[in-house]
Amino acid sequence: MKTSDVFSYAFGAIRLRKLRAGLTTLGVVIGIAAIVALLSISQGLQDTITEQLQTGFATDTLIVTPGATTGLGAMGPGGAMGPADFHLLVNDTQAIDDIENVSMSVAIIRKVSYIKSDEKEFMLYVVGVDFAKYADIYSSTFVAESGEIPLNPENETVVVGKRVSDPWDNRTLFCDVNDTVEIIWNNATARPQKNETYAGHVAVVLKEIGGFGIGPSDNSVYIPISQAQSFFGTDECYMIIVQLENDDEATIESVSEAIEEAFSGQVSVTSSTAVLGIVTSVFSTVELFLTGIAGISLLVAGIGIMNIMIVSLMERTREIGILKALGMKNRTVLLIFISEAMIIGLMGGAIGIASGWGLAHIVARIGLGGGMPMGNRGVAAGGLTITPVLTPTVFLGAFAFGIVVSVVFALYPAWRASKLKPVEALRYE
Amino acid sequence: MTMIVETRNLKKTYMLGKVPVNALQGVNLRVEKGDFLAILGPSGSGKSTLLNMIGALDKPTEGKIFIEGVDVSKLNDNELADIRRRIGFVFQFFNLIPRLTARGNVELTMAVTGLGKNERRKRAEELLETVGLKERVNHKPAELSGGERQRVAIARALANNPKFLLMDEPTGNIDSKTAHEIIELVKSLNEEKGVTIIVITHDQNIASQANRKVQMLDGLIVKGKVN
Repeated sequence: MKTSDVFSYAFGAIRLRKLRAGLTTLGVVIGIAAIVALLSISQGLQDTITEQLQTGFATDTLIVTPGATTGLGAMGPGGAMGPADFHLLVNDTQAIDDIENVSMSVAIIRKVSYIKSDEKEFMLYVVGVDFAKYADIYSSTFVAESGEIPLNPENETVVVGKRVSDPWDNRTLFCDVNDTVEIIWNNATARPQKNETYAGHVAVVLKEIGGFGIGPSDNSVYIPISQAQSFFGTDECYMIIVQLENDDEATIESVSEAIEEAFSGQVSVTSSTAVLGIVTSVFSTVELFLTGIAGISLLVAGIGIMNIMIVSLMERTREIGILKALGMKNRTVLLIFISEAMIIGLMGGAIGIASGWGLAHIVARIGLGGGMPMGNRGVAAGGLTITPVLTPTVFLGAFAFGIVVSVVFALYPAWRASKLKPVEALRYE
Repeated sequence: MTMIVETRNLKKTYMLGKVPVNALQGVNLRVEKGDFLAILGPSGSGKSTLLNMIGALDKPTEGKIFIEGVDVSKLNDNELADIRRRIGFVFQFFNLIPRLTARGNVELTMAVTGLGKNERRKRAEELLETVGLKERVNHKPAELSGGERQRVAIARALANNPKFLLMDEPTGNIDSKTAHEIIELVKSLNEEKGVTIIVITHDQNIASQANRKVQMLDGLIVKGKVN
């Protein structure tokens, strides 16, 4: 029998039992859709994070944080586990600047504070930096949309991120250039605790950066480092960003070692390469885990296929007897049953990929689109825009996996069908 | 005359649970080209078992069966399938594929042998015209009467130019008027087209048209010329 005739016959058998075939296919659709949706979101998230890190964390920079741990943990607030009496200070940049291959370094003071304009008030990070150096290092992200970043700012000068200015992303502005905003910081070390405040003058609204990064953020307020030192009453900095002469691996390594040595091992030095390595590694593990979960649902679908095939085999025993009486060979009967499974796998794969892709976009849009400020005192949450990515590997892999699972689980029923004795099959009631 | 089927001391024993049942106890039979042989006998006489052997649907426990000189008892599944392609089966309960049309059922026989779509479609229509179903080619079995279904079955049996037609109670499930038409059709196939016919029947009308009759009882041919 010709292959086209085998497929045509198999397709006819599927068409006869539309509901059953539909439900069987649905199992495959769900499995494939889960794989495609999870992996494309995960890939999109990884790409976004990598891109954000590369943008906000230039490859020729190092991050110095207090504490002896390395990696991402050292970069989060309070993530460092260094000796309690060690503090990284603003003027520590001088020691770093003296190291060979360092072109400049910039200290960052960062505190959770409130910004108030009219009746609205948001909690966010107020970051104290040297505007000139910071703009030099992050020349693609610390860029003004309105106003001009002052190289020698007044103490009251404030630079705000895009989402601080337009938190609802609908042109209903919280503050704009030349507005006056109130910066409020709760001084918990004072006895009794008290709110420190000062009136800032918005000189710049930054261009939208998107997502997050080690560098500038849409959700932060930037003030001059000297103002931060006096307002927060501290020289202790959150981190120091170091710009290197180049991004050679040898330079990164030698400068990192020199910085650690200069601070007697009480600081962590993190390079973008290391962070990207960690991100990639974490995502590989997450993807493996997600694929495993989605794979299980596909295996369940496979068992469904086997179940349906066995039921179908019993119902069609007489038909198989007729086919054999007409001279059909065992392998052709086997091929008919496998073709039915293959058609289910193909349809399930195609519909599953399309649904998974759609689902990924819906989830990316409504589920991970970033938080909205809520109420009068909301959190200017990070707006992480994810575009699901369907790589050819995931596309072909999901398609092939759907077909392979369908066929593998159909092998046993198909083999049983092919081995039926014609005389017994014809007698079957 | 050319020998089409020959059985030599054909025996078949089934196990019914743990009890052996000797369905055939040494059948010797020869069928030649152009024969119209009727095999008669009461239920349980071994007629259907003999039909299964002649149709290469089952293998004997002992003895030999030759179809066109080939010893079927020694063939494997694939070779048996090849032999079956040269036999036209007509069953009491028609055994048509319900989801296929009359033409689809006839075409299927030819599709099994790998015949091209256009060729088999043309031939299926010709055969259905031969059996008087020209206007019913696109009807499914459920839309056909018993007699029409059996005609489709006969057309299907003729599709691959078989060496002989093997009919199992072809009139057993249809009314007497239609049965008469089927008998006439079978007779004309034998007389006008020279088709060799082996028919198992209780129907004396069809048996009376046969040019040879054998009577079976308890797994043996007890009456009639073995040839």
